[in-house]
Amino acid sequence: MPSRPPRTPSDGRPRPGRRPRRTPRALAATAALTVLLAGCAGSGGRAVQPAADAKPLTGGTIVYGHQQEPACVFGGWIEQAYLSTQVLDDLTSLDTDGRAVPWLAQSWQTSADGLTWTFDLKRGVEFTDGTPLTAAAVAYNVDYWMNGGNSTAQVWLGGYYESATALDDHTLQLHLSRPYPRLDVTLAQGYFGIQSQHALETRSAQENCEAPIGSGAFTVDHWDRGQEIVLLKNPDYTSWPANSQHAGPAYVDRIDWRFVSNPTTRVASLRAGETDAIYDVPAVDYAAVGADGFQELKHVTKGRPQQLSFNTVAGPFTDESVRKAFAYSLDRRKLVETIGQGVIPYEGNGAVSRSTPGYSQAAADTYDHDLPKAIALLEAAGWDAVDEEGYRTKDGKRLTVRLPYNSGTIIDADGAAILQGVQQEARAAGFEVDLIPVPPSGFFGGAYSKPAERDIAAGYWTSVTAGILYVNWRQNLEATPNYSNAAFYNDPVLEDLILQANSTADVDAQNALYGRAQEYIADHALSIGLFDRLSTLAVSPRLKGVWQENAQGGPVFHDAHFVD
Amino acid sequence: MTTTTSAPALPRFRTRAARPWGLHVALLLTAWFAVSALWPGLLAPGDPLELHLDSALAAPGPHHLLGTDEAGRDLYSRIVHGTAPALAIGFGASLVSLALALLLGGLAALAARPVASVVDRVVEVLFSFPSLLLALLLVALLGQSALTEAVAVGVGTAPGYARMIRGQILATKSSPYVEAAVTLGHSRTRILRQHVLPNAVRPLVAVFALSVGQSIVWASSLSFLGLGVAPPSSEWGALLDAGRLYLTHAWWLTIVPGLVIVVLALTATTLGKHLQASLERNDR
Repeated sequence: MPSRPPRTPSDGRPRPGRRPRRTPRALAATAALTVLLAGCAGSGGRAVQPAADAKPLTGGTIVYGHQQEPACVFGGWIEQAYLSTQVLDDLTSLDTDGRAVPWLAQSWQTSADGLTWTFDLKRGVEFTDGTPLTAAAVAYNVDYWMNGGNSTAQVWLGGYYESATALDDHTLQLHLSRPYPRLDVTLAQGYFGIQSQHALETRSAQENCEAPIGSGAFTVDHWDRGQEIVLLKNPDYTSWPANSQHAGPAYVDRIDWRFVSNPTTRVASLRAGETDAIYDVPAVDYAAVGADGFQELKHVTKGRPQQLSFNTVAGPFTDESVRKAFAYSLDRRKLVETIGQGVIPYEGNGAVSRSTPGYSQAAADTYDHDLPKAIALLEAAGWDAVDEEGYRTKDGKRLTVRLPYNSGTIIDADGAAILQGVQQEARAAGFEVDLIPVPPSGFFGGAYSKPAERDIAAGYWTSVTAGILYVNWRQNLEATPNYSNAAFYNDPVLEDLILQANSTADVDAQNALYGRAQEYIADHALSIGLFDRLSTLAVSPRLKGVWQENAQGGPVFHDAHFVD
Repeated sequence: MTTTTSAPALPRFRTRAARPWGLHVALLLTAWFAVSALWPGLLAPGDPLELHLDSALAAPGPHHLLGTDEAGRDLYSRIVHGTAPALAIGFGASLVSLALALLLGGLAALAARPVASVVDRVVEVLFSFPSLLLALLLVALLGQSALTEAVAVGVGTAPGYARMIRGQILATKSSPYVEAAVTLGHSRTRILRQHVLPNAVRPLVAVFALSVGQSIVWASSLSFLGLGVAPPSSEWGALLDAGRLYLTHAWWLTIVPGLVIVVLALTATTLGKHLQASLERNDR
């Protein structure tokens, strides 16, 4: 059975929401068997389609197979945002047109100088610990983020945020040092989820890490590390966003949010009916899963795409010509379109993805594959000798560049295959690319983060606007460090351009400035794009109403329900 | 005084000689593996990492004998060029394993009781860790490389061999010819050098051949778990790991490297068994 609708007790079948638990080990074994059988039989695992007049059901348990397990439910990583949006509500939500719509804030306005934002909060909202949502609680949350409670929220608002004030129980004011006209859409990201002030003040950091208290559609029941997080329906939910598909608490009783890191196992678990929905469908399986009757959802995340940033302060890429030579040496489009099976979109722009407002196609088109030009640039830069293995040398030193990447989390299996293609194509121009897969623990622990340790940094950073440029390209100065500046590139001209854009209220004028910043990055070959980061879901046909929130593409289960 | 009394009984593998054709096939395969490892260009002239993006995921056929991977890299070339790292890891791990086993097993059997007791406990502690877990720990500590993989597999499999060597030495020590040598008043060093060690170590020649195959399987397991040689190495376990994403779409990416690993392990095992049988015949 591909899904788990509730059963009536009288029919002798399992009761709703309390089906026998299957451990991930059993799931993996079943999945492996399914893989083998599927391998023998071709695609296999066709989804059983419900009748056209199938009735929606209330209750049941969604078993969801997710790829990566974060350290905490709430935090600064997109995998945490996916989880925390099930439990915490934001002030705003993002609609399909990229506009902010009410969530916990029912309306908002900015002052004429753009420095004060006033939010009017919904009435009658309670956190799941029984405390009320108040402007003071939200103000407390904002200060909590800015004091380190959420690293990503901190880097977004840092340099703009001054203070938060509760004018009364339901009126909140955010005071900025500089205008930030896209603040309302920025707050729609999962990093800005509002927690109970009482919980933040009285519970341990570990408790708030594993089971934060919000006002969301679900609550955290428990977390079996390495296996799953169990979320239970919040029956008193009253604060659904304006773009929700229904008013009221969630239809299902429970979500088993399982961590199934192997992509083949994830797909097999969906086919076997062990899961009702899975995240991150591998490119090679995407067409077959859709053809077999599973619903597929695909969201191109906004913000920085999967890209390569060059180290501009140490090593061979301090020379702009060498950076450009590397860019010209790659047939990135063909690599991505071949390995990505036509599912993963090629992205030439290293600054922002094509779904980001203000995207510059000119920046994306700066470097086409041109091997002779790459070689000419290298020779002009003094890398004019070639050793016995075909690599270029200068003063007897080989043109070796180190490319560490976070293996399995930031760069998934498809991404790793694309990087191997990059390595091989750059070799034709004489680059020796030293690919270094780094385990997530090492990567997040700071490995290869210093200029002396790497020549290229691979990775993405999702956002809802081109304001991500401020996060990624603001100067890294001693007084105002910016550890997200992966190219270690300090340029006041670029920073001023981004700051101007961030504070420009007129959307067209703002996009033009963001476009100029992207072209500046491309012209100086500071970063080159590879592919747009996708958030994909595959869902059983018996589970309806699953959608992807528009800020980051995470699954929304508040509207999900089984059909008979 | 003689050293020609009955041969040591360990290791206790089935000693029934394989049919000659099995040996002949194993020798032929050994020759193929040797050429692949030493002169891969003779069997696969192309660059094993060369991309053929227009032929990505091509099934085995006339242009690509064993098919291609997701980037169009020729699997046959990668298998051939992956032989050297696979054998290097296999031999390296076996050397590490047997060297460590000789040290621990020798100390446990020959050292003074307090030292032997400590060594026994150390081996027991090592035994309590599953070999793969021990190998995983070492890879985590030392980082990913072929050398680390060889050391990790070697250390992981050493306790079993250490026990075997200890037993072998103790059995030899209590044999009649050693007792005779003691009675004749030979020095301890002489007895060890002339009688105990040669008879205890001789079976290890066969064990070594057997352990090469086993080590290659272990090393491939580590690579399969993503803890072996970094991609895009053509090491077979790494190929197996990379291919599992395409299991239902390109069977050759997992089946072929898996079969090659099995064939090499069987080849080494067959040679080892024949070597063991041959040694035992000579001893009789």
